[in-house]
Amino acid sequence: MEGAGRLLGRATDNHGLTAETLIPRVKSAVDKYILRADPQASADVIQDFIDKLQADDLCLIVACEQGNQKAWTDLVERFSATVRSAARSASSNEEGAEDLAQSIWAELHGLRVREDGKPAGKLAYYSGRGSLAGWLRAVVAQLAIDQHRKQSRLVQTEEDADFDRIIQHGQDESTWSGHGASPNPELQISAKLAGAQVQKALAESVKQMSAEDRLLVKLYYFDGLRLREAGAVLGVHEATASRRLTRIHAELRQQVERLLIEQEGWTQPETARAFSEVALNLEADIEPLLATEPVLMKKENEVAG
Amino acid sequence: MKQANNNEVDLLLRALARERTSAAWQSGSESGYAKQVSSAHLDADELNSYAEGVAPDPARTRYTEHLADCEACRGIVVSLVQSAGAASRLEVPEQKGGAGFWQKLRELFSPTVLGYAVPALVLTAVIGIGLLALRQQQGVQFVAQNERQAEAPSAAQNKADSGVSSAAQPQATVQDGRQSGTTAELPNEKAALEREKTQVGQELLKPDSSVAKAPAKDAGQADIGSVAESRPYAPEPKAAAAPPAAPVLDAEKSAELAKEAPAKREDQARDRDESFRVQSDDVHGPNRSRSNTAQPSSQRSAGVVGGRGPSGMDKNKKAAEVETRSVMGRHFTREGDAWVDTAYEYSRATVRVARGSDQFRALVADEPAIRTIAAQLDGVVIVVWKNRAYRIQ
Repeated sequence: MEGAGRLLGRATDNHGLTAETLIPRVKSAVDKYILRADPQASADVIQDFIDKLQADDLCLIVACEQGNQKAWTDLVERFSATVRSAARSASSNEEGAEDLAQSIWAELHGLRVREDGKPAGKLAYYSGRGSLAGWLRAVVAQLAIDQHRKQSRLVQTEEDADFDRIIQHGQDESTWSGHGASPNPELQISAKLAGAQVQKALAESVKQMSAEDRLLVKLYYFDGLRLREAGAVLGVHEATASRRLTRIHAELRQQVERLLIEQEGWTQPETARAFSEVALNLEADIEPLLATEPVLMKKENEVAG
Repeated sequence: MKQANNNEVDLLLRALARERTSAAWQSGSESGYAKQVSSAHLDADELNSYAEGVAPDPARTRYTEHLADCEACRGIVVSLVQSAGAASRLEVPEQKGGAGFWQKLRELFSPTVLGYAVPALVLTAVIGIGLLALRQQQGVQFVAQNERQAEAPSAAQNKADSGVSSAAQPQATVQDGRQSGTTAELPNEKAALEREKTQVGQELLKPDSSVAKAPAKDAGQADIGSVAESRPYAPEPKAAAAPPAAPVLDAEKSAELAKEAPAKREDQARDRDESFRVQSDDVHGPNRSRSNTAQPSSQRSAGVVGGRGPSGMDKNKKAAEVETRSVMGRHFTREGDAWVDTAYEYSRATVRVARGSDQFRALVADEPAIRTIAAQLDGVVIVVWKNRAYRIQ
């Protein structure tokens, strides 16, 4: 009650709300962000959390939820540009973006009615922890994914399943795409087998990493973000992300070697040699890709000539 | 070696990512967004709080765990972070433009700024105090010199008071008088020449005149202390020591001219007398031994040497009156056997013209005033006329 009163006092425009109307929303946010992870959280922690809520944005959303028409007008006027921008980012074409932007307001208001008689819109899920503009962008992005899912015949896959599949593929040496440098078929098969086992150990090692490090690896290697962008997602500077990645490389190397020695029975020199050969093969993999375009151009010129 | 190991792991990770992407294509997914949003996924509020970095630590750890394995949620967070970064970049100029006074004040006194400003201020203060102390130290030395300098004018002043003439004393006194008195009477051309002469003379006599002015102003008071105070850093006056000959001559001229200036009426009367005498000369023919032009040798020597010698102030005044002539608006002083225009500077070159020569006739034909001057002054005459100096002999 006291926290809700302070929240209301911080708002520039409280839209005629009272502290009582804010209490359920504040309590929901505290449960979600504080008490779910730490049921014994202190009063100071809770008070600090409430005092950092976006008072103006939360009052606006609660007022909209209460059916305040002026608040709705204000919301649409202030955030139409944000919603359109987010829709354009999430859609592949302008027409789809416009449809998405139009549908977002209906989603926010809610077409269905809850048990208490109020619209069952997405407005009820805004906690005020982050900015309203950011929340609207996230809602638009999720809505775009939902719409895409409905329009496509999707096969639900989980990323863990991806790694399991890679690990599974690693057991079959024929799936390893590394090109053997040696013309000897036996050596080539041996290299492929070594490469597949190294990849399998690497995938397992990545899975065993801490969530923070694994997220950095995913952002940088799998999502193709730059270090600066990956650092921004993690809330750290680019230099910090770079140092963290260097540490991850060293730790992954040790972990892969340990797995290969313990599970595959390799020796230390064998793991070192395997790393070198696999790296050499991977570099050889990249070179043909880089040379593809000039070769094709040369062939086209020869045909034209 | 360590860097090579890192490069190998880097290559392996890239290959792993390529392998996973190609497998996802093979499995039918068209893009990262194609992942189904299950109930376990983060909602919009959680995604946004993570992207904005405002999620509490326990919740953030949980979200990180999910994001590391969920490409769909990760994609949304990445897009939110990038959108927020672009939005903040766009908002930066507006914030700067609309920054209030207090915000600017806070930025000015922020710890970051103060961290640089305070040492800079301290350094500046130390340098300033050091310079001030150095300057004061130099000032003390100058004051000590000034005390010695002040003794010289005081000695000269005492000599003057006791009847012993000093070159510096009358020099400065009459120079001021000359500048203020005669210039007002002269015609424009004469005034221009006087100004030029004054400038040149001041340059030549700068050390003397600059120092001597102060005693001249305070001559009546003879207050050495005030002299020292008025020019605390003045260089040592040369006049107090052995003065060079040329400045002394100038000083004499100046003294004579200055003496004329307060006695304007005497000059005018004397001019009238001279013109009367010239007229009488014309009647009786030229007489180079005229008593009014040729001074007695005793007086002559007294007049020339008077400024240098230990004669009294009264004798100086008398000599200056006797040795000065004014003809055609020009003032001449007797120096040996020559009459020298007071506007003449010894550094200036002269055009020698012999009396009766063709050159002399041509000159006097153009400038009849020179004829009058040459006629009234016997012997060698150095006259400055239209910014040129002629030596008529």
